[in-house]
Amino acid sequence: MDAWGAALTVAVATFFGAAAVAAIRPKLGYALSAAGAVLLLAVAVEALVGGPVRGAAWSGPLGDPESLVLDGLSGFFALAAAVVWIATAVYSLTYDARRSPLLAVCFSLTLGSIALLVASSSFLLFLIGWETMTVASYGMILQALGRRGRVFSAAFVFLVFGEASTLFVILAVAGLRVGNGTFAEVPFASAGDLSALVFVASLLGFALKMGVAPFHMSEWLPIAHSSAPSNASAVLSSTLTLAGAYGLFRVLSLLGPPPLWWGAVTLGIGAASVLLGALFAAVSEHTKGLPAYSTIENNGLILVALGVALLARAEGLTDLCVFALFAAFYQALAHAVAKTVLFLAAGWTEHVTGTFDLTSVGGRVKRGDRAAFAGTLAATLSLAAAPPLAGFVSEWMILESLFQSYQFVPAWVQFLGLVSGAAVALGAGLIVIAMVKFLGFTLLWNPSAAGAARRSPGLAVPIGAVGAVVLGLGIGAPWVLRFLTPSVAAFSGFPVTAPVGGLLSVPNGWSILSGSPFGILSPPMVPILLAIGAGVGAAYYLLGRRGAPAARVTPVWMAGSPPGRDGEVYTSFGYSTGLRIMMSTVLGTREIRSGAGPVSEAGLATPEPYSVDLEVLDIFKLFYDDLVRGGEALATALKARVMTGDLGRYLAYILVVVLATVIYVAAAFG
Amino acid sequence: MTRSAWREEPADRFALTPDRALAYVAPEGAFALYNDFAARDSVLATGLAPVPPAEVVAAWRDQGGERRPHRLVPPDTVEGYGTFTFPYGPISMGVPESGRFDVVTYGERVLELTPIGGYKARRTLPSLAGRPLADAALRIERLAGNVAAAHVAAFLAAAESAQGTGVPTRELWTRALAQELQRIYNHVHVLGRIAEAASQNVGSAETHALAEQILRLQGHVFGHRWLFGALLPGGPPRRLDLDGRRALAAALAPRSKEFEELWELFLDSRTFVDRIQGTCPVARELAVRWGAVGPTLRACGVPWDDRLRVPVVPYTDLFLALPHERDGDALARVLVRVQEVRSSFLLLEQLLDRWPADGGAPEEAAPPVAPGRGLGRVEAPSGDLVYDVRARDGRIEAVAARTPSDANWPLFSFGMRDAVFTDFHFAFESFGLVFAETDR
Amino acid sequence: MPSWIGQAAHRGILTSRYPRAPATEAEVPMTARAPGPPAAGPLPAAAISVCPVGAIGERAVDQGRCIRCARCLAHGLQPVGPVELTVARAEALVAPPGARDPPAPAPPLASLGRSIHVFLVDVGSCNACNLEVLGIANPLYDAARLGIFFTNSPRHADVLLVVGVPTEEMVEPLRRAYEAMPAPKSVIAIGACPISGGAFRGNPGLRPSLDGLVPVDRFVPGCPPAPIQILDALLTVSGRNRREG
Repeated sequence: MDAWGAALTVAVATFFGAAAVAAIRPKLGYALSAAGAVLLLAVAVEALVGGPVRGAAWSGPLGDPESLVLDGLSGFFALAAAVVWIATAVYSLTYDARRSPLLAVCFSLTLGSIALLVASSSFLLFLIGWETMTVASYGMILQALGRRGRVFSAAFVFLVFGEASTLFVILAVAGLRVGNGTFAEVPFASAGDLSALVFVASLLGFALKMGVAPFHMSEWLPIAHSSAPSNASAVLSSTLTLAGAYGLFRVLSLLGPPPLWWGAVTLGIGAASVLLGALFAAVSEHTKGLPAYSTIENNGLILVALGVALLARAEGLTDLCVFALFAAFYQALAHAVAKTVLFLAAGWTEHVTGTFDLTSVGGRVKRGDRAAFAGTLAATLSLAAAPPLAGFVSEWMILESLFQSYQFVPAWVQFLGLVSGAAVALGAGLIVIAMVKFLGFTLLWNPSAAGAARRSPGLAVPIGAVGAVVLGLGIGAPWVLRFLTPSVAAFSGFPVTAPVGGLLSVPNGWSILSGSPFGILSPPMVPILLAIGAGVGAAYYLLGRRGAPAARVTPVWMAGSPPGRDGEVYTSFGYSTGLRIMMSTVLGTREIRSGAGPVSEAGLATPEPYSVDLEVLDIFKLFYDDLVRGGEALATALKARVMTGDLGRYLAYILVVVLATVIYVAAAFG
Repeated sequence: MTRSAWREEPADRFALTPDRALAYVAPEGAFALYNDFAARDSVLATGLAPVPPAEVVAAWRDQGGERRPHRLVPPDTVEGYGTFTFPYGPISMGVPESGRFDVVTYGERVLELTPIGGYKARRTLPSLAGRPLADAALRIERLAGNVAAAHVAAFLAAAESAQGTGVPTRELWTRALAQELQRIYNHVHVLGRIAEAASQNVGSAETHALAEQILRLQGHVFGHRWLFGALLPGGPPRRLDLDGRRALAAALAPRSKEFEELWELFLDSRTFVDRIQGTCPVARELAVRWGAVGPTLRACGVPWDDRLRVPVVPYTDLFLALPHERDGDALARVLVRVQEVRSSFLLLEQLLDRWPADGGAPEEAAPPVAPGRGLGRVEAPSGDLVYDVRARDGRIEAVAARTPSDANWPLFSFGMRDAVFTDFHFAFESFGLVFAETDR
Repeated sequence: MPSWIGQAAHRGILTSRYPRAPATEAEVPMTARAPGPPAAGPLPAAAISVCPVGAIGERAVDQGRCIRCARCLAHGLQPVGPVELTVARAEALVAPPGARDPPAPAPPLASLGRSIHVFLVDVGSCNACNLEVLGIANPLYDAARLGIFFTNSPRHADVLLVVGVPTEEMVEPLRRAYEAMPAPKSVIAIGACPISGGAFRGNPGLRPSLDGLVPVDRFVPGCPPAPIQILDALLTVSGRNRREG
């Protein structure tokens, strides 16, 4: 164990230490977490630049060697998580002022457990980290402010789906253990049915954690994240789902050459998540619900890229496989940082206006905190895939990979690529609506209206800093991609070169080339061209204005009415109602009227207020509701028929089980 | 042709008998019936249909209806998550007149639409007190320019009834001639506006061209494009001698043919018909209960037309088809208007053909409803128009009116519920509503 | 579709040749010309007393007040002068006796350029002026051929056309519309109402004219003015009128 190894060990330990300290001094706990994250970031960079970092090693309880290791793959995830954690922990120093120390404890514990599972070299340690993470996050969600009943039920839903995920992960790990005879993360020795079982179990388990279709409408992600405190939401949405992605990547990296259907299933799930996540984000009215749904969309994009990579590998298209993997990693990175900003911004606007309701936030946030404003702007535009930001690069890469699905031989795979491409494109369009809505109704809308003028640099600076990272990741994409080469290599298992090059007068290394080469994009050139264009425009404007009268500012033209009266401004709900009505089949939109109705129809003596609400239902939620109802009915039936409370009956059950076991053992070993 | 211009009608749900009408229109001093709640209360006291329910009106009064700008329809309070009020107006190019529409919506769909009037109230009616009849008539014409003939005809009928003045037969024929011409103009104009809203560019251009031709014809025959002064003694010269009538008949024939061709082409356009079919429907029951009039009422299957039900010369002597439709939507209203254009062309033919040879014996005026107080009632292009005039010694004492727009605003508002924003223009134009008629 | 084309071809060109050729008789209604005395000298007393709006004084006829009721025509006055009546100052509408020639034509507002966008504001009209203004867009006048277009927002407008007598309720909306227009901009008062209150002059709650509300650049008298006269006003504003050469 060299110095870097020691640093890794210390970093992981720091989080757990921070959790202990936080019980007494919450602020110190956050500060320690931030320090640990900084250390982890340094180690992660070393793991990507200088090769795997090996930390503490010991002998595990079941005799397996246990150790902390960051290789290319885990290094990448540690890197992405560390960036998020630094900002979130610093933000928490201000944000968490009014909450109990328990939140700080659970926060540090969640960070520590995620660091542990990412750095673990065996699946046993991974499982321990995984389960600690679930329980600690549950603790964070419980700290939400609001009606207790609602908070408890949200946290419970989170726990149920978390444990369901753990069950499948345990199944996958068991499969690996059976095949390899060890918990160590080594290439899978077995193949065939067992590897298929491991794939399905891990896909289910990790997809549950990532909250993608069809588990997205379990709503655990939106509900839980919406209820949770904002710093917790940022950690959950950006890094907890990242942990899920890490698990999936880790297991798949060990499984060996995938059959075609693995990629197809992954791609299908991803594409469906993109579409549904974007649609639900666009009609969400909650400043945290909207980013939460957007997380579904982004995790879907990761799965789409992963699916294309798996298909390409199965088809032997190495170039495409590598490119799609780069796309997947970049998407994960871009989403983690941008989404952090959104949740921190939601906490900031809530801090200023006291509400998470988009319609009520509208017009009440002043642009006092410029850093927060700029950061939120960068993050929302990035999530809407606008150049020159990180999300633009990753979305371009994913679409480029999908465009190349024509290379797949079986027609049905080509068709799947086509349909998925359409779904991703539609999702990309819908998410623009969602992001415009978020940005517009939190920050841009009606800034002249009287609003709270509270400034909060403690919240604004971290938001702005991560926003700068988003911009940097966008402009510097070719260099970041080269930096990620070890991660892709660690996953794919063959030598990899980053898909960067040059074209025309763009210097070599300034452009991203897809395929070999298929399409080309130069992220650094985008801002340069934008700046030139803006400069020309500005010069033209300034020169043209010489001698012209000074600009005159007049109120918005409202057809002759005075502008901006109370209750006469567009609501964010109204902004997306068109979508609600258009997509009513998927959204299950229905209008609920209550009260007597209008005087003309009701024949009333005096007019009475009546209400009309447009409700968006969720066909998946209905499915889960039915599932729960079915489960309850089954339980009731079992209770009546089987679990009668009769002792004699129970003794008989035990006897039957013992006999069956004896017979099985005798048959197996006899 | 010497019978009274106002005759007792058999009891009819919609008949406005003189004693009923007394209560039906506002007394002196009121700007408009809808602003005067004392008058409304007296209407309610008589238990007449069609009027809005008493309680509704009481509540309405509390909502500041007397202040201007004020709502033109009964109040309703709709609420719901994300709903907001979207004020449209008072200046919007979609509606060339000034008036506001408060749209309550949660986006896209109209939950409630409240027309707000009073922006252009010129306080005309109270200003008439003490003026000579002819001076008052000048101002009545300028109350609502595009339906001036109907207004002045109703006003003159009421004033004549109040004073018991007889009217030369030919004068009554002239009024009918002017009204039918203006009816054609208004219906064609409505059609053109709807075609415009439906982006039927060729059709709307042709229709507006036809409307302009009618205006020119009016200007040629009556000396004023909008018939101002046309029905008053001493107004612009009329050219209704034999040659003038022949020339008019000759000029009308090609317009009638143009209209027929135009309408056939509109019916051929699926996009046009689809756009107005089912738009802004008014249920027959609502139309009756809330007192709809004119094409709005006839489009719901109620064949009420003052020209037949309030028999005045010369309509009693002419053949008049009474078109009506059943669906009550914008298409039905348009179809009623189209058929009325046809019947008006036919009426004009008959009028010119059977023009009274000489001044004839003066027709008796309708008996006054009270000493010095008369009612005049005509079928304006958009429906039943009532004037209540008190006059003595050739001077006006007070004037009140109930115009078709007054009556039809609530139905427009009800019909727009659950419509989408883009239905607005089709719906609005199909009712032929005029703010100037309400903002008196 | 072919039937539209066939009909249009059959009907030929309906559009006016104005301003390249003078307005035809069909385009000029009888009320287009303002009443005036046939010769110099004091105006007949009968004409003065018969005027319902007091437009006829002893020495001059105020064309801005005249509502074209034609009563004075029976008492010695007659329609005089040209069809184009647009003036730059309301005072210019007061024609002294014997003045059979038009007031000096208003100079163009050259800064507006050759194509103008027009916004209509009704501040209390009877709807006739509104329809005459909209009428300039119909194929018989076809304002678009002269570069005149209607806009749906004052934000895009060069010219504000004001019709109707200003009510108290419309004062603020009118000001807002004027404020919302970008410079250079101009205002044209259409009809007797915005110039003098027209037939509603003196009613409570009304302003007597646009004075003090918005600066008016052109006045077009009439009740209502004919489309050709409105077209003329717009052409003088954009400097495209033949009269200015």
